[in-house]
Amino acid sequence: MAPYGTEPESNGRRRDLIAAGVFLVVAFSTLFLSQPTQQTISTGLQVSVLRPFMGVQRRLAAARIRAAQADSMLARIDSLSEMLASHSALVDENRTLRGLLELSERAGPQYLPATVLRPGTPGSESMFIVDVGRRDGIRNNAPVVGPFGLVGVIREVREGDAVGMDWTHPDFRASAMLEDGSAFGLVERDPGDFREEDRLVLNGIPFNLEVVEGAMVVTSGLGGIYPRGIPIGRVGGQNDAEGEWRKSYWLEPVVQPGAATHVLVLTEGASPGVSGLWAPDSIR
Amino acid sequence: MTGPGSRRVWVVVAVLAGIHLLLRVGFSYGPGAPDLLTLALLLASREVGLGRAAGLGLLFGLLEDALSVLSFGANAVAMTVIACASALTKDLFVGDSRVFLVSYLLIGKWSRDVIHWVAVGWVEAGAGLRQPFVDQVVIQGGIASVYMAGVGILVAIASGFGAEA
Repeated sequence: MAPYGTEPESNGRRRDLIAAGVFLVVAFSTLFLSQPTQQTISTGLQVSVLRPFMGVQRRLAAARIRAAQADSMLARIDSLSEMLASHSALVDENRTLRGLLELSERAGPQYLPATVLRPGTPGSESMFIVDVGRRDGIRNNAPVVGPFGLVGVIREVREGDAVGMDWTHPDFRASAMLEDGSAFGLVERDPGDFREEDRLVLNGIPFNLEVVEGAMVVTSGLGGIYPRGIPIGRVGGQNDAEGEWRKSYWLEPVVQPGAATHVLVLTEGASPGVSGLWAPDSIR
Repeated sequence: MTGPGSRRVWVVVAVLAGIHLLLRVGFSYGPGAPDLLTLALLLASREVGLGRAAGLGLLFGLLEDALSVLSFGANAVAMTVIACASALTKDLFVGDSRVFLVSYLLIGKWSRDVIHWVAVGWVEAGAGLRQPFVDQVVIQGGIASVYMAGVGILVAIASGFGAEA
């Protein structure tokens, strides 16, 4: 006879409830951990459980580049070049790589070429991983540029890779100026109703200054993060006016982050001015 | 739960989690790939008990948060809460039909997206990442839920889940 037959089940249920409660508390507490602790956990998971999957992504990206290079060589030596050139994705990638190569030659060894990897998990929008890290001389807040201009900035550097954010990130800010130096301001993201509608805004332009549409906006070098002269976008029209003392303008970005697959990352000790790197014909 | 049934649950969970990470992280498919991590969690939570389900939810959430720099913790909260709620539904609903399973997966996945959207708003750094509710939760979340439920039915049929749920 077992008069207390349900007791073990009740104990098991209680243990389950306590365990669930503990896991819930731990889950909620992760929201409020300090950033270094969050980064430690992230890095721990990335170099352990997620390592094989990130390795696959890295190998696939490398394979894509090799394939593009092989196709490019084939296109030069055989009669299939016309057919390959009509392949829009390949043409685009070739153009990007060629532009990057030309820019890399002009920029010299201070800029490291890197491949952009994008984690496809919720919350990782606007972030990317580059396959260069601390051992390559990359530092926090290093600018990331493409053949046409500014892509974003490095946020977290690890030994062999680094995490960056592109201009669509809500934390993105860049001190900027008109290319002719006639006005200075701050460029930031303006979120749209949908992600595809995100735009850039140039703030802080003096009210009495008329900026023509199409004028190129470049980094000003103020603030010490971005060197002077990296193209950001072209003025697309007036956005807003505050009282009668300053205005803001929409910008048409020169770089679409989703299309940036190969980039250059500034290394430590690079020169502060890069105005000469983007020849006028390389800027869209 | 012990024995062959338990082993089958953990094998299915491990396979789904592996495929999810391979598709979304390895191949960078993003939302183009179904949310197999949530599917694995929803299927397993009704089988393994409340405590283990919550632990599994926390683990899965942290795996996704490891790549979500500015909204760290949002996935952990969403997955743990969903795991607990799913485990508790076993006491409330004893569904044994495909219709129940589809509804369960649809509501489970959509609720996960709602909780994630809310939790991202709690993180100061991540609040700006949040897209409008209609866009992110209603439209994208709705499509993702239907997508995941469709795949979930196939997985359930292939693995025998839901037949005795």
